[in-house]
Amino acid sequence: MRVVPLGLVLLAWELVTRIGWVNPYVFPPISEIFIRWFTLVANGSMFAPLLDTLWRALLGLGLAILIGVPLGLLMGRVRWAEWFFEPLFSFAFPLPKIALIPLYVNWFGLFSMSKVMLIFTDCLFPIVLFAYHGARGIGQAHVWSAQARGTGPLRMFWRVVLPLSLASIYDGVQVAVVVAVLVAVVTEMVSGGGGLGTMMIRAYRYGDVRTAFAALVTISLVGLVLYHAAQAVRTRLLFWHVSDSQT
Amino acid sequence: MSGGSLLAWRTMHGVSRLLPIVLVLLTWQAASMTGWLPASWLPPLTAVAMALGGLVVSGELATNTIASLSRAGAGFGVAVVIGVTLGILMARIRFVQLAVEPILVMIYPVPKPALIPLFMIWLGIGNFSKITVIALACLLPIVVATFNGARSVDAMLLWSAQARGTSERNLLWRVILPAALPQIATGVRTAIAIAIIVLVSSEFISSDSGLGYLIFSYGGVGADDAMLAVVLYLALLGYAFDRLYVNALRRVMAWHAFAH
Repeated sequence: MRVVPLGLVLLAWELVTRIGWVNPYVFPPISEIFIRWFTLVANGSMFAPLLDTLWRALLGLGLAILIGVPLGLLMGRVRWAEWFFEPLFSFAFPLPKIALIPLYVNWFGLFSMSKVMLIFTDCLFPIVLFAYHGARGIGQAHVWSAQARGTGPLRMFWRVVLPLSLASIYDGVQVAVVVAVLVAVVTEMVSGGGGLGTMMIRAYRYGDVRTAFAALVTISLVGLVLYHAAQAVRTRLLFWHVSDSQT
Repeated sequence: MSGGSLLAWRTMHGVSRLLPIVLVLLTWQAASMTGWLPASWLPPLTAVAMALGGLVVSGELATNTIASLSRAGAGFGVAVVIGVTLGILMARIRFVQLAVEPILVMIYPVPKPALIPLFMIWLGIGNFSKITVIALACLLPIVVATFNGARSVDAMLLWSAQARGTSERNLLWRVILPAALPQIATGVRTAIAIAIIVLVSSEFISSDSGLGYLIFSYGGVGADDAMLAVVLYLALLGYAFDRLYVNALRRVMAWHAFAH
């Protein structure tokens, strides 16, 4: 049912460009874009850029999870951590982190390091904030009953706070996955160094719309696949959670 | 609680929230002054403040703010008008939903800044391509939010209005739009943040004016103090816009809190 309208749109795209209502050089038929995409995939020239974008995005995201989750949980449970970090994060939140590219290039060099660090910075925000809200929303009764049994602070974080905040943390991770791909691509467009973003900018410079579109298709696929992978991990990890029982 | 003590409490709360930010800024300055933080890594805060002053006095900041805001504003404005209209039409007319939904499904997973190179091919490297990408990026959250809001309007409200013979036009303006407003407002808030991100990205990639251009060109020549000044200014601007919007919203939707 949902496939039919989408097919019609693609068909309309194909027809309009074939009839010659738009210049096919500037706006190629969808079939030619897919042919180009398959060609680039088959001859291997899509592989290196894909790998570059992917590892940068995943490394940045992974670092953000590693540091952001404990920090967010700490903010949610410990008074002074909340007092100190919450204003900093909510002030810096609306800043488009992409504006830091020149600064990061200055700090971490022109190559992958500055890109990974920017992805890390940008992903940190949703993860910290969602972990923070998750940890804040925990029912006090759980904490009290664990305390009554003499649970230490470290064990409390690991066995009580973390599991109970996991659903919220996952919401943050799913936002961050999309952000990671986006920032990876933009940094690659701005400061080069390979990857799908650089591939697009190069195609633009040669006026090669088909390759630009093909790279765009791959970028969108990467985003979709990562998003659904995060979703799949979530359903496995959170099968016991109330908010996930329906999905 | 009397008005006075409420005010005092609010001031206290505000100061307590500001304190960490002040602490970080002071640490930054102290680290620079003791030479612990070399200026090549991060120029001292005072230098950044001076650079900001210089940019204000020279008028550079004002002209580039206007350039950026007119781009972001144009794209965002177009997105609000088209987005709300389209979202409501989709919710009310089945045919429109069938026609538009597949296009949305197709565009949704695309990271919008990645569209910048394509739009530069189609529309040139000037303002028009930037505004179009900003509009497109802002459009999606607004359409989706409006559609969901308008679709989930309490059927009872619609029926009772229709039973009184309310015309379709009045139904739209007096029932559907107000009922969908909270969701539309959330979509618009997302769109404000997106507009700034896409704006800066597009000005990084190709531009000769705007705040993104300023940051990039100062960063490129190693004038870190001026670059940081613009970055901080941009953060303040983004923060101010978000606050303004939330406060305005609270006024407009005061009735909504009471309605529930």
